[in-house]
Amino acid sequence: MYESTWIFCLKRIFTLPFVLLGVSILTFVFIRFVPVEPAEVILRLARVAPTTEAIEALREELGTDKPFILQYLLWVKGVVKLDFGTSFVSKLPVAQELLAKLPATIELAITAFVLILALSIPLGIISALYKHSIIDKIIRFFTVMSVSLPTFWLGFILLYLFSLKFGIFPTNGKGTLAHLVLPAFTLALPTIGLFVQFIRSAIIEELQQPYVKYAQLRGLKNSDILIRHVWRNAAIPLTTLLGMTLGNLLGGAVIVEQVFSWPGLGRYLIESIINRDYPVVQCYVLMIACIYVLANLGTDVLHRLLDPHLMMKDRRD
Amino acid sequence: MRLTKYLLPFLLVLTFSILAGCTSSEQEKGKIASKAKTEEKMITVGWPLDVGPLNPHTYLPNQMTAQAMVYESLVEYNDDGTITPKLAESWDISEDKTAYTFHLRTDVKYSDGTAFNADNVIRNFDAVLANRDMHSWMGMVNHIVEVVKVDDSTIRLQLDEPYYPVLNELAFVRPFRFLGNNGFPEGDLTQDSIKAAIGTGPWVLTDYKKDEYALFSRNENYWGEKPLVDKIKVKIIPDSDSISLAFENEELDLIYGRGIISLDNYTYLKDSGKYQTATSEPLSTKALLFNTRSGPLAELNVRQAIQYAINKEQMVDSITHGTEKVANTLFWDAIPYTNIDLAPILYNPEKAQKLLDEAGWTLQKGEKIRSKNGQTLTLDLIYIATDAIQKPMAELMQGELAKIGVQLNIEGADVMVGLQKLMDDQVDINFWRTNGPPTDPHSFANESATPNASGVYEAKLGLPNAKEIDTKIHQLLVGTDEEERVQLYTDILSMFHDQALFYPISYETNNVIYQPYMKDFAPRASEYDIPYAQMNKEN
Repeated sequence: MYESTWIFCLKRIFTLPFVLLGVSILTFVFIRFVPVEPAEVILRLARVAPTTEAIEALREELGTDKPFILQYLLWVKGVVKLDFGTSFVSKLPVAQELLAKLPATIELAITAFVLILALSIPLGIISALYKHSIIDKIIRFFTVMSVSLPTFWLGFILLYLFSLKFGIFPTNGKGTLAHLVLPAFTLALPTIGLFVQFIRSAIIEELQQPYVKYAQLRGLKNSDILIRHVWRNAAIPLTTLLGMTLGNLLGGAVIVEQVFSWPGLGRYLIESIINRDYPVVQCYVLMIACIYVLANLGTDVLHRLLDPHLMMKDRRD
Repeated sequence: MRLTKYLLPFLLVLTFSILAGCTSSEQEKGKIASKAKTEEKMITVGWPLDVGPLNPHTYLPNQMTAQAMVYESLVEYNDDGTITPKLAESWDISEDKTAYTFHLRTDVKYSDGTAFNADNVIRNFDAVLANRDMHSWMGMVNHIVEVVKVDDSTIRLQLDEPYYPVLNELAFVRPFRFLGNNGFPEGDLTQDSIKAAIGTGPWVLTDYKKDEYALFSRNENYWGEKPLVDKIKVKIIPDSDSISLAFENEELDLIYGRGIISLDNYTYLKDSGKYQTATSEPLSTKALLFNTRSGPLAELNVRQAIQYAINKEQMVDSITHGTEKVANTLFWDAIPYTNIDLAPILYNPEKAQKLLDEAGWTLQKGEKIRSKNGQTLTLDLIYIATDAIQKPMAELMQGELAKIGVQLNIEGADVMVGLQKLMDDQVDINFWRTNGPPTDPHSFANESATPNASGVYEAKLGLPNAKEIDTKIHQLLVGTDEEERVQLYTDILSMFHDQALFYPISYETNNVIYQPYMKDFAPRASEYDIPYAQMNKEN
């Protein structure tokens, strides 16, 4: 059993370099489609008139004067040696800057993740158990709302209510638990809505399975049936969703970080796109791709451990 | 089911415990912190970008407003266009106007206590000039031959030929500002990095968390008038709506600058009546730049007709809520050499129609758009998609021009895309703005005569007198006679005005809004000089 999981992992890890290669080529090409080149943007943002000489001097310094293919090969050569280049703007190593900002984003994403689990599981179960009751309707109303609201708008509404009107949380910055609540909640809410709906229908479906009736006839306690059998079965498909969520939370933090002035990766990415800071954008995309692939792998492994059917299937194959 | 009995209470307890955990940190909140009656006075301000490495000799990502707090220039440019002493207490200019001798103040110390003197000034000049390419946009850099020490408190700047705006350029926030000896890196390569931000200015950076905040404390060694408060905290808040929310929540004492928050938010805060507001004298001009190389705008009549067709007064008032003044000429009066008598083009749609008729752009029966020789009068305008003012202005102008039979296609794009397209002759009209003091109007002149700089050179290629304008601009920059210079500026600006190359819209200002407990101060008409030293708040 373990052997096959190991092989499964190795196989997947083996594909990682190919995924990254594809992602990096796409990023490399797409970012160059953005009009106006870095040299000119950097000069203009510095309020320096971009004279032809100044642009050419800067292009040479940035290396953007070289042919596209050569630029890519040089970049790949660096990446293989774990050198992700230096930022066009700050002149500091990109990896160093991104790693410095990663903890803040991870802090936000993990808090949001915990909130998602802590809120969506009980709400989903309540909603399923009290199907069609008033409490179910209220919960479903809020879940539909939370899924449909745009993040930036939700962020501002929460700021308006909880900072300005009730004065509970600060509007911006990082440092204390109070600073973390609103951004994490804003980031989590759309996913909570999604999860509650998902859990609700999964549980309702499981409750209709014959084994539930059978267990009740056997005289098992309802709470035991719910926790040991119904929830366990309903939770299996949820694990797949969870893996995707972690990646989404890291990527989705971009807007939340902007609204709440959270000093993480997302904000840095926006700034870098505006500044046409190619090395930063390339390294960021590579990093997020890695996290996605690994998170998915983790989910699949978890999925296999929770659902023995999958493992059996592999063995038969 | 029995289990559900426990679930609801569990959920409630969980929710309340999270809330309780947060409210306990209420003391951390700015609201309370900023109101606390401590002996130390601190002013907190919001800014969208990190202050950067505070290197006086480089550009992005250094924020000009922060560089200006720490570093000073030899001379100072004032809002009325005059230049007064700063680190140099006086200066002499040689008769041939190629040598500038500066007499430095002798009572100036850097924030680390080291002396400011001729050797240090020259070290700074050398570090900047080691990288001439990077600073070549500044005309003076191309003319400096050498900077030499005369004595401990005197230096001489030698040019290859006269270049009149030397003092204006020295007043600019970068790169000619001075770093203390202990701030220099190895080999004096300040273009790469500096060791420490040591300046002569009124503020010293004492605490800094990248992308979160920068804390400046009063420089106890400051030679000039000491700032009234002890500390300035610059909080980094990238989103403009978040800045206004933070201000409303009393986490910020003031919002200062042009475009830091949207004018809608500014008006909302102002109209609430709870705060004090101030507006600086104009600093730059918002205008449209017409591409005269091809299409209908190659004709003077069309360019003029557009200007007559738009009710500018109403547009500026309704969109900027009165925070910007209507502009009828390209430069505000206080900009040197630009206060000249030019007949403004005022709103007159009948005249606009007449001009178009005269030029042969006529309305055919049943048509809504004018045409000439089978070509319709259609123009493209690009605005910056994220600009809260350009977009409504573009829409309003589209409506006004439709009334006289001109179709204006508008398109929102990323910063600089429009300018690039205009330079490539792919678009007819683009929003444009002047640089503002202290480098106007000479930087404007310089850019207008140089290809690939601000788009003006390319846009004006269709003018019949484009060559003549270029020649006059060159004479102007190297000329030594003041009267002749005045005349040349008058000629050049009149030609631009008569040719209707620009459509001046409004004069942009710094808008300030501050909490009621702050004492009054006068905002400056500068892109980078924020008068923190004059700010104070009640205890």
